[in-house]
Amino acid sequence: MERMQAVVALQRRLQELGYVAERPLAATLMLMDDLRRPLLLEGEAGVGKTEIAKVLARLHGTDCIRLQCYEGLDVHAAMYEWNYQRQLLAIRLLEHDGRSAEAKERDIFSERYLLKRPLLDSITREQPAVLLIDEVDRADEAFEAYLLELLSDFQLSIPELGTIEARSRPWVVLTSNGTRELSDALRRRCLYHYVDYPNFEKELLIVETRLPQAPARLARQLVEFVQSLRQLDLQRRPGIAETLDWAAALLRLDVGALDEASPEAILDSLGTLLKTRADRQALTPDVAQRLVASC
Amino acid sequence: MAADGADPGQALCARLGGFVSFLRENGFALGIDDAASMVDAAQRLGLLDPLLLRWSAQALLCRRPDERERFGELFDAWFLPPNRRKYVESRAGGRGVLERARAPGGREAEDGSEGMPVAANDEAAADDEPAGGAAKHGASAGESLARMDFRHLHRPDDMRALDALMRGFARELRRLALRRERIGGARRLDLRRTARRSVAHGGEPFELAFRERRRERPRLVLLLDVSRSMNLYSFFFLRLARALLGAHWDTRVFIWHTRLSGVGEALREPDPWRAQERLQLLSAGWAGGTRIGECLDQFAREHAVLVHARTALIVVSDGYDTGDTALLAGALQRLRRRARRLVWLNPLAGREGYRPLARGIAAAMPYLDLHAPAHDLASIERVLRPLVLALR
Repeated sequence: MERMQAVVALQRRLQELGYVAERPLAATLMLMDDLRRPLLLEGEAGVGKTEIAKVLARLHGTDCIRLQCYEGLDVHAAMYEWNYQRQLLAIRLLEHDGRSAEAKERDIFSERYLLKRPLLDSITREQPAVLLIDEVDRADEAFEAYLLELLSDFQLSIPELGTIEARSRPWVVLTSNGTRELSDALRRRCLYHYVDYPNFEKELLIVETRLPQAPARLARQLVEFVQSLRQLDLQRRPGIAETLDWAAALLRLDVGALDEASPEAILDSLGTLLKTRADRQALTPDVAQRLVASC
Repeated sequence: MAADGADPGQALCARLGGFVSFLRENGFALGIDDAASMVDAAQRLGLLDPLLLRWSAQALLCRRPDERERFGELFDAWFLPPNRRKYVESRAGGRGVLERARAPGGREAEDGSEGMPVAANDEAAADDEPAGGAAKHGASAGESLARMDFRHLHRPDDMRALDALMRGFARELRRLALRRERIGGARRLDLRRTARRSVAHGGEPFELAFRERRRERPRLVLLLDVSRSMNLYSFFFLRLARALLGAHWDTRVFIWHTRLSGVGEALREPDPWRAQERLQLLSAGWAGGTRIGECLDQFAREHAVLVHARTALIVVSDGYDTGDTALLAGALQRLRRRARRLVWLNPLAGREGYRPLARGIAAAMPYLDLHAPAHDLASIERVLRPLVLALR
């Protein structure tokens, strides 16, 4: 039962740090800590996947090293690269040096001339860091295969230097938007958590946590508005990030309550929620009024 | 922690091991080591609390959104005894997958079997091959399915199998099309390679290597005729388009009839039923004959930007036209100049004794790189594979 208390404590701690997590997520994070397995987060854009990694870093008081994946991401951008300019320069400078060729070579291919990219950086820190591999589904299959070595053994091989073992084991968080199916091999190595759109209570709690200065009435109304907006047939449904943006915008516009605000103010600020032209057109003043009225 | 409760711990471990195989029988892709790590985790961490056990097992054993969705039910089924029998029976009697009726249209919650990588997690329900199905359609069955005329395909099983074939095909095409940066004589200096080449000249960077800007990705533009004369086929081409989109291809899809409209967004819709709804909405209210000429002309006027030097333009139509053929010829002539390849796929062309006499196709013939039959998957593969290679 102690463990359950620990989970609750972790949940509370996360909330103090500004992240509202359900208990299953808190339990998963604990498990991640115990088993030291990477965590794979899936879910729609804007539901706070990346935020989990950041709060994890704050929780452990360490850095969050982020690797943003994109198509064509290769080893040299993700792991390491030799600093060729400096190496070439060093070759010149060492020409009249009395040392043996071997020693010179060792010098040129030493860590001094190695540029650490996120993956290598994360395992060579003295203090374990949080490694965030963002939108891993955007990278090619080839890169995914490369990741496997890191995730299972926490080591990387550099041909010129040999295998580099992890000095510390980072907490690894991978996120995916599902633009491409991830390989089974990658999934097998990870703990899995699906981040859903929050329900009303949770979203309200998030707004209250992140924007304590918002009046309670406004917070309730705007969360309700966003919740019903997600039910509409939109191209891009607004995520939590959008809710918070909108809340901030409304505060800035001095809106105290949605039903008291001028319709123009609401319509003007909707640019923070709706990010495509079609969605913007779909939400006519009538529809907006109706949504406000039902809040 | 295992020490203080050795007996209940032991029992729980056995139970947990059983649970993992239960999940496996219900279509979860789990191996023996998963059972070991689950039991190990439970033992070391003392996950005796039911809620904690549930959350931890969910994180450890689920790998996909649809698995997570079913997990709760299966967990209850295994750990709450009275319910358990029902599921065990359905497993023995059926195809080894917990069947659950969902949504209209007999949608089933099933997971892909091993060795059949499930693409597009969003299509989980509609598209996955049932575990038992793998045995039913072996390689040869898949082969014959690929050669089956689309208009003879009705059974949901066949559809699912065809979807799997299409997805595999789409992935293969993507592999063909992907190309890394080439080393050639342009722009940025590639220091890595320059340093490597300097070895031959005693460390003198004598031969310089350059990195060429990665070229634009090949793009497919599909123009699908969804008029009444095509209704036996258009459905399959939409599925193919969906498979291509799912493989993260640069694919643009338009459907036309008397008017042209882009359907990429609707096809990307994660929920297949909503996708169908949106497509129906898009094509609602259309009537009258096919106006190939006007639609292609509309495409050439409004969307020609989409067609770049690495684009293959694929028109899928039977060529029955009630519109202006001069317009058609003009539009094709213009598009021909922009696109790398202009291909006309014709479902009727595979039939015996077919000759391209329909007004539309007769007018289009001079501008086409290829006019090919497309009544089954095999014939489409025959066309698309060389097409993609030509785009590289």
